[in-house]
Formats: sequence, structure tokens, C-alpha cells
Amino acid sequence: MSIIDVKNLKKTFNRREVLKGITFSVEKGEVFGFLGPNGAGKTTTMRCILGLLRPTEGEALVFGESLAAKDGTRGRVGVLLDKNGVSDTLSARENLEYYARLYGVPDPVGRATEILEFTGLTERQDSLVGTFSTGMKRKLGLGRAILHDPEVLFLDEPSAGLDPEAQRMVRDLILDLSRKEGMTVFVNSHNLDEIQRVCSKVAILHQGKVRAFDTVEHLRGGREGTHLRVVLSDPASAERAVAVLGTVPGTGGLSREGETVSATFAGESAAEIVRALVTAGCGIEEVTRERRSLEEIYLAAVRQAEGSA
Amino acid sequence: MNGIFTVAKKEAGQVFRSRQLLISAVIVTLVFSTTAVPAALSTGGSAALDRVGFMLLVVIGIFIGYIFSGQAFLREKTEGTIETLLCSPLPLRDIWLGKVLGVTLPAYALTLAGAAVIVAGTSALTGTPALPSGPMIFHILVVVPAFIAVAVGLLGLVQLLLGMRENQIINMAVIFLVIFFFSASAGLLGVGFQVTWTVEGVLLAIALVLLLVLRGATRFLDRERIVTTIP
Repeated sequence: MSIIDVKNLKKTFNRREVLKGITFSVEKGEVFGFLGPNGAGKTTTMRCILGLLRPTEGEALVFGESLAAKDGTRGRVGVLLDKNGVSDTLSARENLEYYARLYGVPDPVGRATEILEFTGLTERQDSLVGTFSTGMKRKLGLGRAILHDPEVLFLDEPSAGLDPEAQRMVRDLILDLSRKEGMTVFVNSHNLDEIQRVCSKVAILHQGKVRAFDTVEHLRGGREGTHLRVVLSDPASAERAVAVLGTVPGTGGLSREGETVSATFAGESAAEIVRALVTAGCGIEEVTRERRSLEEIYLAAVRQAEGSA
Repeated sequence: MNGIFTVAKKEAGQVFRSRQLLISAVIVTLVFSTTAVPAALSTGGSAALDRVGFMLLVVIGIFIGYIFSGQAFLREKTEGTIETLLCSPLPLRDIWLGKVLGVTLPAYALTLAGAAVIVAGTSALTGTPALPSGPMIFHILVVVPAFIAVAVGLLGLVQLLLGMRENQIINMAVIFLVIFFFSASAGLLGVGFQVTWTVEGVLLAIALVLLLVLRGATRFLDRERIVTTIP
């Protein structure tokens, strides 16, 4: 079941087309990563989904409804935007209790206490947020976004300004919310490492168009096949190994470096390649299946888009 | 209604907590109301008190409402917290209404303090209690807060829908108008002016019509317009 549905979404500002007909969907319980360089249209897309901007064409729905039109549906959604949404002139506790009341949380005081403990801000609960560091504000903003137990959570650069420990806390939280609570999480981020660690599906946006949209697993597998790295026990057999691999159907991208031979193959299993090498008398020390990092996928998508533009 | 009161309570709390804002408002109240005392004395009696306070209290209330509305509407835009608030389940009109209430109540409280200063000052200097007339008491208790609410509601709409540059122009216009009405208040009313029940009835009707017009104008409130005018 799709929780977020974006269909042929277009948005134009002053005759400048920022979104050029983007389509993707996010299923229940998925952690979805939305990637793209600055100015790609990520924030505009998120604002359209949240009902803050009207699509020029197409639609952006959550639970099958437009958030701009349905007040009640917005109560099922948690949002952490770039500015955290917490007031500098209120204390941490006051901010949380204020939003808890706005979302109709049954016990605002108790829930605020829980969130303060969870974010590690209990000691500073009565301090004005204006005196907080960037990281503390981010943690409070994150706590505010989940205090009403939303079914969908939208996070815009959730770990921006956080130290490594807090970044890990955010990652663990996202995974926990998805696995234990079945929460759907939409993460808008530049942090490719973070996306790779937490997201099950990603879309890469560039110049207002979705350039890649698939599960992280599929994208990392790559269209051209799986990359295999074979370390031979005898460097002298490397030349022979390259020749043998050249005869295996669907294998390409051959290279060698010392006792290491690398190749890309189209199939799912490396057994055929290993068998061919062993039959040819090549001793094998180690076989590693290498997958592309999300960074490589991202850069390839952006370069491909720029090349075709 | 809970959401409206939650927003109103938060806004009023923030107004009373902002020392800088409160000091500015108290100074405005004291300066405007104390300068009215000699004017009331020179004319003499309760009728003079009515005549001096009639327009002045509205001007004080609107000016303080203007000062406070910057905190409730503009600051939320400059801090960027308005976007998060717009994502809450509260309808846009309720957000606006909550803010209007949260600004009107403290502005009215200070206006009442200004009225008390005028009454107390005039009474102390004349040696006899200079109490306002019945229509004037009605004016202070009903008409003045209604006009403050109209002004704050209008300012709130404008501040939400316009960009920062347009708002700066509006700010200058408001200050100019307040100064104009403050200095011309006595002259505009004429020598023979009296605060009567008829005058108050007409003013209340005007205020109610304006509030209804304002309520209708809230349909122009638009999330996209607000978001795209965030500095």
C-alpha cells in the first residue's frame, strides 16, 4: 500500500519550471531517501507533499489525500524541516508541550517528559531554546516531530549540525521507528552515508527530474552487473585467469593488478566464474563481490543527467 | 477551539515574556496616557475625560497591538517556525485567530492600564474622582478591544501574506497613521463632541462589520503565499 504517492508532479515559479513531472511512491514502513544536489527541487517536492505549495500540475498525496486540504490527515504526519520548528523564546519543555497540545496528545506534560528524556535534554528542559547549540535544537526538533507518534515522518537533513554520536542516535531512531513502529520515513538528505545505512528505497533528483528510483539493493547491484574481485594464490596465473574469464559468457570489464583480477558479470551467482578458474588450474585465495556505493550511483546519475541535458 | 486557545496562550505568554517588547509597550502606554491628563484638566470634568480618552485609548490599543503583532506573525516567519506550524492539523484560519487573540488580550490589558492612568492622574490633580461616563465605560470595555482586534487581525493578515519589504512599508504607514490620529484626535472630534450611547452603538456596529469583513478576508490566507514570503 502506497503511503506517499507523487504523480507527474510539476511546479513552476515565475515561469521557471522547478519540478518537471516527477513520479515516485513510498510504501508503508519504508525508509525512503530523497537525494539530489542543491537546487534539484528536493525541498520544493517535500513542500508540495506537505501541502505547503500547490502543484502546478500532477499531484502529491499522503494516505491518498492532499495534506493542504485535509487538516486531520496532517495530524498523522510528523515533520522536521531545516529550521527545526522550535521557538527560541520558549523553553524546550514549553515547545514540546505546545506542539503536543496542537496535535491533541492526551498527556502533553507526560509526553514532553518522555521526549526530553529520549533526546537527552532533561537537564536543559527549562532553558530557552535560543541558548541551545545547533545540535541540541536539532535533537529537540526531532523529538517534536515524533511526539504525537505520527504514521509518516518527513525529515529534512535530519543529522545536519549533529555530532557523530547524535548522528548515530538519529540513524538508530529512524531504523527503530521503521522496524518496530512500522512508521514510514521520508528522508531528504545530502548525507549519502546516512541514506545508505538507513534507507530501503531512494530517488535521485536532478534538475527537477527523478533520475533514479529503486531499492538501494537494486541500485547498488547496478544495471551492468555485479563486480567481482578475485585474489589468486599464484600471481603467475593472473594472465591465464584473465584469458579464462574472457571466455565466460556475460563477463566484461576485465582488469588485473598483481595477483588480483577484477571482472563484471551479468548473472546473480559467481559460481560459474569460480568453476571456470578452478578448471583452468588457477588457485583462488579470495573472492569478493563488490557493490557500488550509493555515492557512486548518485554521482553517475547526476553526471548522466548533465551529459544528456 | 482548543487549538485556537493553545496558540493564543502561547502568543500572549511570549509577549509578556519579551522584556524588550513589554518595556516598549509600557513606555508607549505611559507617554500617551500621561500626556492626556493635562488635556483633560484644561477642559475640566468627566466630559473632558471622555473626550480625551475616547480616541486616545483606541490609538494606544492599536499601536500596542501593532508592536505585539510583529512578535506573533512576523517573527514566526523570520524564525521559519511558521512552516512547521502550517504542517500541524490546525486550520490556517484557526492559527490566525489564535494569534489575533494572543496579541489582542495583552494589548487590551495595557490599554486598560492607560485608561487607569488617565483617570487616576486627572482625579489626583483635581482632588475629586474624575470617573468616565456610562457610555465611555462601555467604550473602554467593549468598543476599544473590538477595534484592537480588528487592527491586529488586519495587521496579521498583511504580515502573513506580504514579504518583508512590503511589511516595512506597512510598518511606516501604521506609525504615520498613529501619530496623525494621536495629534489630531481632539480636533477631529469637534468642540461639542460627547460620548453618547448612540455614538457607541454606531462604533460597535462598525467594529462588528469590520470583524466580519476580516473573517471573510481570511479566505485569502494561503499556505503557499506564506511559505514563499518567508525571508
